[in-house]
Amino acid sequence: MNHGQQSGEAKHEDDAVLTEFLGSLMDYTPTIPDDLVEHYLAKSGFQCPDVRLIRLVAVATQKFVADVASDALQHCKARPAPVVKDKKQQKDKRLILTMEDLSKALREVSASSGGFDPHLSIYGVNVKHPEYFADSP
Amino acid sequence: MTYGDGEGGSQRRGSQRGSNDFAYALARMAVAQICEGVEISTLQDSHSREGARFSSFQESALERLTDVVIQYIQSVGKTTQFYANMAGRGEGNALDVVQALEDLGAGLGFNGAHDVERCLGDSGVVKDIVRYTGEAEEVPFVYSLPRFPFKKGKRRAPSFSGIGGEMADEHIPVWLPAFPETKSKEVEETNTEKVGEVKSKENGLSLPSMQQSLDVDRLKVQKSMEQEDVQEPGEEPEGNPFLAAPVWVREKDVPRVFCPSEPKNEEDSIGHVPEKQKNIPPLEAHAPPGMINDESRLGGTEDGQKTQRALLRFKIGTRKASMCWTIKQSLEDKETRGRRRWNAKRNSKPLTQM
Repeated sequence: MNHGQQSGEAKHEDDAVLTEFLGSLMDYTPTIPDDLVEHYLAKSGFQCPDVRLIRLVAVATQKFVADVASDALQHCKARPAPVVKDKKQQKDKRLILTMEDLSKALREVSASSGGFDPHLSIYGVNVKHPEYFADSP
Repeated sequence: MTYGDGEGGSQRRGSQRGSNDFAYALARMAVAQICEGVEISTLQDSHSREGARFSSFQESALERLTDVVIQYIQSVGKTTQFYANMAGRGEGNALDVVQALEDLGAGLGFNGAHDVERCLGDSGVVKDIVRYTGEAEEVPFVYSLPRFPFKKGKRRAPSFSGIGGEMADEHIPVWLPAFPETKSKEVEETNTEKVGEVKSKENGLSLPSMQQSLDVDRLKVQKSMEQEDVQEPGEEPEGNPFLAAPVWVREKDVPRVFCPSEPKNEEDSIGHVPEKQKNIPPLEAHAPPGMINDESRLGGTEDGQKTQRALLRFKIGTRKASMCWTIKQSLEDKETRGRRRWNAKRNSKPLTQM
């Protein structure tokens, strides 16, 4: 019984994190607008009158995008810079979100999570653009 | 979420975009904004920390990421609804959402995934999200959205009780929406007299009243029918064209069909036709009995309005019969010349003119 009571209390405590977060969600405005998220959720069958849940999904999505983007940024940075021997050249490199980096980042995401498969097996197989086109001689 | 056929990405996007152009554009902007805010802090040789950010992006890469994000949202919704249904609920819960996020991995795994008996409220996913909201800068969406998607306010029809009228029929409950008002009600005030006339003649049967509508102004009778509808809803709808009586045309408008070889007989026969009005041919015997009764009514009541319309008699029969008819007429006329011509033609061209 003690264990039950403790677990009950623990559950209350654990829930507190979630409830607090849901309460704080109203202060934080996610970048993805609520209407847009609500639209896509409704499209897949989840209709919820509670705004906080929609914001929860929006924030989760935002975190997902941020994770993918940061991974892509790391890949982009990790790539050796084109070497141009010029003293006047600045070291600042313009970082561009390329398909290559994005595909690597998404591949990591899809590999780790079993449920989410960003379709288009393109991410698994044919992601790279053909580097050159062979013309007939 | 896999599509059954592995169609090309461009095709899929085309189908996805076709109906959701607006939503797709918004999602694209939001994703771009999020990417813009992603920063990697690098420790340079100098003491200042520089954050590397994306300065630009490839268009196709952004589109791919937008597609992925849209699918992510949809899969979260689908999984949430799935968990809610598994628990026997119709609407998703906060815990359902958390469970769905755990399912999707929310990235590269989360703390506490190994713990089977964990509480969802204590999920590592939630903590990760909390941490993210604490760290990341808040970037509100750039544009102020109009109410999306556009919902046209539906003006619901007021119920019977809303209108305030008590229906004569008991089988129609008052909470149902009322019947729509018809245009003829606007003309009601101008034609009240004629309406009274028409209504008085009705026997309570719908068929005679509709047949009268042709002789009276059609609008008035329709109005009377509609008034009946208001009083007795549930009968035939207003102005049903299939229940209207057929249009009767004056006989003189329609030429009688004859073979072209008998010009003289035609003139004589047409002249004789009006006299035969009162002989009702067998074809008309099949008309509804009410119609014949109306004939007498027509003459009595519609004095100044319209002339009596002669009934059209269709010559339906074999050619042989018509020929007999014309022969009979020519015999009645007692013109020997016509008879001779007719006999001559009949002998010369037997049954070839059919």
